[in-house]
Amino acid sequence: MSNYDSISQEISEIAKKLLKESKVDKVIGFGLGRFTKEITPIFIKKAEDADRLIFNKNCEMSLTKYLLNYKGEKVAIVAKPCDSRAINAYLSEDLIKREDLVIIGINGCPGIEGNTACEECNIRNAVICDYSVGQEMSEEEIQAEIEGFEDEIDKMNQAERLAYFQNEFERCTRCYACREACYVCNCEQCFTDSNKPKWLGESVKLNDNFTYHLMRGIHMAGRCVNCGACEMACPEGIDVRAFAAKMCSAAEEIFDYKSGMDPEQKTLLSEYKVDDSEKGFME
Amino acid sequence: MMIKKISKERFKKLFDELKEEYNIAAPILKDKGKEKILEYDFINDFDQIVWDRQPDSSPKNIIFPQNSMLGNDYKGSKYYDDNLSTIIMGVRSCDIEAVKVFDQVFIEDDSYIDDSYKNRRDKTIIMGISCAEREDSCFCDSLGLDPIESDYAPVYIFKDEDEFFIKIKDEKYEDLFEDLPKGDQAQLKALKKQRKEEFNESSFSLDIPTPLPEKEMFEADIWEEMTEKCLGCGVCTYYCPTCYCFNFFWEGEDGESTKYKSWDSCMFSSYSVHASGHNPRDSKGKRYRNRIMHKFSYHPLNYEGLACVGCGRCIDRCPVNLDIREALKMTEEYLLEEGGDESGKD
Repeated sequence: MSNYDSISQEISEIAKKLLKESKVDKVIGFGLGRFTKEITPIFIKKAEDADRLIFNKNCEMSLTKYLLNYKGEKVAIVAKPCDSRAINAYLSEDLIKREDLVIIGINGCPGIEGNTACEECNIRNAVICDYSVGQEMSEEEIQAEIEGFEDEIDKMNQAERLAYFQNEFERCTRCYACREACYVCNCEQCFTDSNKPKWLGESVKLNDNFTYHLMRGIHMAGRCVNCGACEMACPEGIDVRAFAAKMCSAAEEIFDYKSGMDPEQKTLLSEYKVDDSEKGFME
Repeated sequence: MMIKKISKERFKKLFDELKEEYNIAAPILKDKGKEKILEYDFINDFDQIVWDRQPDSSPKNIIFPQNSMLGNDYKGSKYYDDNLSTIIMGVRSCDIEAVKVFDQVFIEDDSYIDDSYKNRRDKTIIMGISCAEREDSCFCDSLGLDPIESDYAPVYIFKDEDEFFIKIKDEKYEDLFEDLPKGDQAQLKALKKQRKEEFNESSFSLDIPTPLPEKEMFEADIWEEMTEKCLGCGVCTYYCPTCYCFNFFWEGEDGESTKYKSWDSCMFSSYSVHASGHNPRDSKGKRYRNRIMHKFSYHPLNYEGLACVGCGRCIDRCPVNLDIREALKMTEEYLLEEGGDESGKD
């Protein structure tokens, strides 16, 4: 596993070089705020500011979604392995252009504090990059990291699951931080904002909260890269990642599909093979 | 004015007396999945109250609930009785100032009195608490507030280790505390002085006059720049103690419906979209501009004081840590460079 400090240093050096040589207009990465010492996404435009770039255990945001704001511009981006998968997914959906993009990929990702997705993550090296930082992790090392991981929700029976999710979604204020933090959620209009048809009530009630999270969860099938940005964004500490994570494991189990592994990869639901399994994940 | 000084045990007894006649809301730790969050709720047990740090949410959910059915607001709350008044205990200067903002808009503005808010407010007594320590994101004193004591709460608590001074400023409530032992005014004064000295200085200062000059800044390019990292969710507004935008609608099934009032957020793209589909605030920069301008320009122009109280919750709760202080500094730099009108009024 790589260490945070050396990753930070490598990122700064690469960013400095890219900006100095005018290879990119800006570098999207992580840095500290001006008043708080909290990690925040930063957009570096000048080589002399590249030292502000850092990587530590609190770099919890997925930066990939910002790429949609810079179509047609040359940008570099710092990508954790999960973010690099999200970049692949954008490339495969033709949302961004590879030639506009310089990817600084993190290998041997040491993980993010408090992000439960990291506990089960078995993609610890960037899957696409122009520059790699950190030390690549071998398959054995990765397996050792996630050994013993058990999905607690999988062990629950139906009634326990219902109770668990009721307890979770009761707290949801529908601030939509999970949606906005998610790279998948880039629809021009989200179903939650549609008033014709109206899918959700305006008041924040448990059944509508369920509708929101279930519908969002279903949309994650074959798209979610299990980065945990949704969970980290939630101000109420809700297990918002659970449905999406279930979709990921179901896609893997039933269709041997892992999203964002290759820029040429078609999305799970846009491809059909005659011999596809017809097993439903509810069974 | 009356000053009392009581031990923790005596306060507990007082609490038990008060709860017979009042609903009591106070900051308590609530289980939020993996974490615990300090939030106001109706309670029954004095020992649950956490006094020593700023709650993660303001008492907005008590005084202006997210969903209100216009008359039946706290359905499901075990320790709430609609026939009783409510005491909110342990409210800090910032959050008290925020209640003042609500009062200005919903009650004191003659052009419109919000009955549902007024009814709730008339039945609410705020017991303030003196702040002892600055959180990383706090900046109420940079906006002219006093974290040690606010004049807007009729009753104020000063916690001194395990003892409590209670200062009753409004005669109306003196009866409630009459039986308690008297506190020494000089001692309280000394405690306040000590608090003030120990309070470390804010790293932020607002160095431009308010109201901010809308016309000079409206078209500025700083708005898009400062929201480059904004995700466009509603966290800053939902956790803001002064954001009061709301929506009315009818909802129901089986031929019956209820009129609801729910929070809205100017940070949502759907907030300002017109029936035609046109959206005058079609970017995050324009929406954030409205948020800043409402707090630092429109509100001070129409009422008194700012509509930001410096509680810092929008900073703490923001998923990408967008810092309103940085936004204000950018505003300041822009106005100084562009030679903004110093008077702040057009």
